[in-house]
Amino acid sequence: MSTAITGAGPGAKTRIEYDDTPVRQFMIASIFWGIIGMLVGVVIATQLGVWQANFATPWLTFGRLRPLHTNAVIFAFVGNMMFAGIYYSTQRLVKARTASKLLSRIHFWGWQLIIVAAAITLPLGLTRGKEYAELIWPINIAVALIWVVFAVNFFWTLARRNEPSLYVAIWFYIATIITVAMLYIVNHLSIPTSWTHSYPIFGGVQDALVQWWYGHNAVAFFLTTPILGIMYYFLPKAAERPVYSYRLSIVHFWSLVFIYIWAGPHHLLNTSLPVWLQSLGMIFSLMLWAPSWGGMLNGLLTLRGAWHKLRTDHVLKFFVAAVTFYGMATFEGPLMSIRSVNALSHYSDWTIAHVHGGALGWNGFMAAGMFYWLAPRLWRRPLHSPAAANMHFWLGTVGILIYMLSMYVSGITQGLMLSATREGGTVLAYPNFLDAVTSTKVLMHVRALGGLMYLVGFVMLAWNIWKTARGAEAVNGSIEVFVPEKEKGMGIVAGFLNAPVIYTTLLFVFAAGWAALPGAWSAMCIVGLIATAAMMSMNFEFSKKGWSSWYDRLLVNALPFTVLTVVAVFIGGLVQIIPTVMVNTAKSIEGVRQIPYTPLELAGRDIYIREGCYLCHSQQIRTLVGDVLRYGDYSKLGESIYDHPFQWGSKRIGPDLSREGGKYPNSWHFFHMRDPRQISPGSTMPTYPWLYTDKTDTAALPNKLSVQRKIGVPYGPMTDAEIQQDCDKQAAGIVADLKAAGAEVPPEREIVALISYLQKLGKSEKVAPADAPKTAAN
Amino acid sequence: MNNPADHSPDAPLDGDLRPHSFDGIQEYDKRLPRWWLLTLYGAMVFAVIYWAYYHAYSIGTPPALALEKEMAENAVLAAQKSGVIDDDTLWKMSLDPKIVSAGKLTFDTTCAVCHKPDMTGLIGPNLVDHEWIHGGKPMDAFKTVNEGVLVKGMPAWGPMLGRQKISEAVAYIFSHHKPGEEVIIVPGWTPPPGVMAIPPPPPAK
Repeated sequence: MSTAITGAGPGAKTRIEYDDTPVRQFMIASIFWGIIGMLVGVVIATQLGVWQANFATPWLTFGRLRPLHTNAVIFAFVGNMMFAGIYYSTQRLVKARTASKLLSRIHFWGWQLIIVAAAITLPLGLTRGKEYAELIWPINIAVALIWVVFAVNFFWTLARRNEPSLYVAIWFYIATIITVAMLYIVNHLSIPTSWTHSYPIFGGVQDALVQWWYGHNAVAFFLTTPILGIMYYFLPKAAERPVYSYRLSIVHFWSLVFIYIWAGPHHLLNTSLPVWLQSLGMIFSLMLWAPSWGGMLNGLLTLRGAWHKLRTDHVLKFFVAAVTFYGMATFEGPLMSIRSVNALSHYSDWTIAHVHGGALGWNGFMAAGMFYWLAPRLWRRPLHSPAAANMHFWLGTVGILIYMLSMYVSGITQGLMLSATREGGTVLAYPNFLDAVTSTKVLMHVRALGGLMYLVGFVMLAWNIWKTARGAEAVNGSIEVFVPEKEKGMGIVAGFLNAPVIYTTLLFVFAAGWAALPGAWSAMCIVGLIATAAMMSMNFEFSKKGWSSWYDRLLVNALPFTVLTVVAVFIGGLVQIIPTVMVNTAKSIEGVRQIPYTPLELAGRDIYIREGCYLCHSQQIRTLVGDVLRYGDYSKLGESIYDHPFQWGSKRIGPDLSREGGKYPNSWHFFHMRDPRQISPGSTMPTYPWLYTDKTDTAALPNKLSVQRKIGVPYGPMTDAEIQQDCDKQAAGIVADLKAAGAEVPPEREIVALISYLQKLGKSEKVAPADAPKTAAN
Repeated sequence: MNNPADHSPDAPLDGDLRPHSFDGIQEYDKRLPRWWLLTLYGAMVFAVIYWAYYHAYSIGTPPALALEKEMAENAVLAAQKSGVIDDDTLWKMSLDPKIVSAGKLTFDTTCAVCHKPDMTGLIGPNLVDHEWIHGGKPMDAFKTVNEGVLVKGMPAWGPMLGRQKISEAVAYIFSHHKPGEEVIIVPGWTPPPGVMAIPPPPPAK
């Protein structure tokens, strides 16, 4: 079947048959998981308007399905779509068959197995409690291994290429593979307490920073860069027009991969994250606007001379809409990263509108366009129904608009109501959080409708492609190539020791020196910065040719190119994460130190994480008047230093819980968890009947405590029996108090542990800033 | 379609085409749009200024300090505006039907969940009998509502309701009492047996 001759010498003519089987497999998998992921999305959207829609079943509650929704859409739907696009386009762009059939097969089945494992474990409540990083540690290891398989297969294919130069799509794929590996590994560093549970090694602010460095760049390097690469291949193919600007590709690629990595802290604006990091997050997000729009411009302007095709070509319709949504989302992102805008938008449905513009508009429509373009080529048969594809386009577009508009209205309503004050900024205008919930409830129905329309459109795609492929013969593409003369590589050193790289490095070093060094050093860096910039522009004027020929030469050398990409994406992480992780946590606590959890409270906390409470409740009071009036004094660094994982949250579907401890009696929580509406009329919180029948897993506590000790929580030595005694004693106290209030429950039930945790929230001790002893009172 | 780039004089459709093609894809090498470069450089300039203002030269106030300053100023101004509140004023307010009906609204939406709409007590104690836990004078009640009694489960409503609404609600409660009537101080309140099995009625709108 295959006629590829790998041993053909330079100048020889040979025929290569591409291996398109993985493309077909990944595409079908993407469509299948896409439907699942979107369906779960519609279900949880419905639950926000109709709380009964979880049928009081643990594995159907919002807190457990929301991670399934996000993970399925990101890693299963877009992940498989990305692999399909990369396997298809890379072979053609480098004129070589994918290096290893075996690795492709391991990659495909391994990835599907991971998804199945995720789809089983997440609804069971097995989670790490960090957004988009919920999967438990054995699955984390599998993800890392499969990613390495993918990377080997990809770079091996590059090594065997018959096309010397690397096209822009390949640059983006390289950046994706490298960066995702880096992000994933760092954010998943944990120590297991059992086969299904672990604690992250970072806690509090460190964990928050690492999490959003990862979370933001999952968007950047999983949902954006690979899809831009796919755009650079499939859009000019579909439009049959040349790409608009090569130099725009260069400038926007390098600025994008360099700047993106810095922007993570914009998820933590106005929190207790050190202000210098917040500022970096904000200014780098603003600087990200133009690089992002560079991609949009190169996509849209490629259509110059082909705009008339939009009337008839369903593939281009999807691509153009997708790139437009990309432009909108990447304009909105920097806007939402401005501290004052973020004060309104954060924790509200505005963020939800924003991410769905990206996921449904950019990712979903790029996927649809690519699938409609690929199917006729992978099965050599025209698309079954272009009319249905058009219908899909309009259903999807209207669905997105309905979804986003309802979430904008809801988000801004929530933001305004929850921060509104009276009497000169001393009293909340809407003291009851539920006012914001009930005011936006109808919009939850609208959003579910929009999502449902999008899902119906996507099901039409599945049907259309199934009809196209059924009974058709799967065909692989092939091409005749001349094996090129091997050019002598420029090597790593030559890759770096050249004017553009040296000048850029100097500029960065001086800029960083100005920003970080004190006094005279800082002033010297300004001089250095100006001198470098002047020399650079002079040098550039005199040797324009030299600069571009260096880049052309770099493009035929995959290794130096990859190393430079690694350097570009590492810098932001190094500058932000190393100082935060190295800093002495015992000292940088702003005068307040969290009191560590008792064993029972720790068990309760793990129940809180299991039920996904952090998906609706934040634990972070921002430095904003509305937050402080509603929840108490703003959160300090020291108040969450022992929280592994941190639980600051990203959304307030319910109120903040940072200082929930002692706010209400135990009985309040008892009755509230059993039926939230009995206490809080209009609440959309699920009921949790199983917490009253299931027993707290205290047997796991000795292991959990010993891991907590290892990661720096000051627990004194306790035998297993002592731990159990401590739990029993605390539980008995709560049970007695509950009984006095008319609520009877045996002490070993989960609700007791959960109440103990909730009552501990916000408990900290004042510490004189100067002396901060290593061990804390227990 | 209406793409301005189609017609702009400096963007002819041909020319600048790079010789190489990748799987049939060719690339122009058009100049970077000027407005695009301006946004890129503009954002960089802004970044430098912002960093200089807040960090390198620390001219701007850090957010936490700014917040504390703002809240302190707000509190001073609000205290200056509102008049004195004491037992006498509250008793007088309890006779004013306008104030009492405003207080009833606050009570029904905020307090009735725990104290029952008819004030005879649910999770929270009865407010129309003569038994009091934290004192039976209007100012005692004002203090209890304002600062809360956390150990007994009474939240501090001051930051949420404000002085005006709290005094109205207290006036509404004391419209059910008379000055000089009997006050019995008791240690606590026991909810009526089985009360939690029945959901309390929703608050009146």
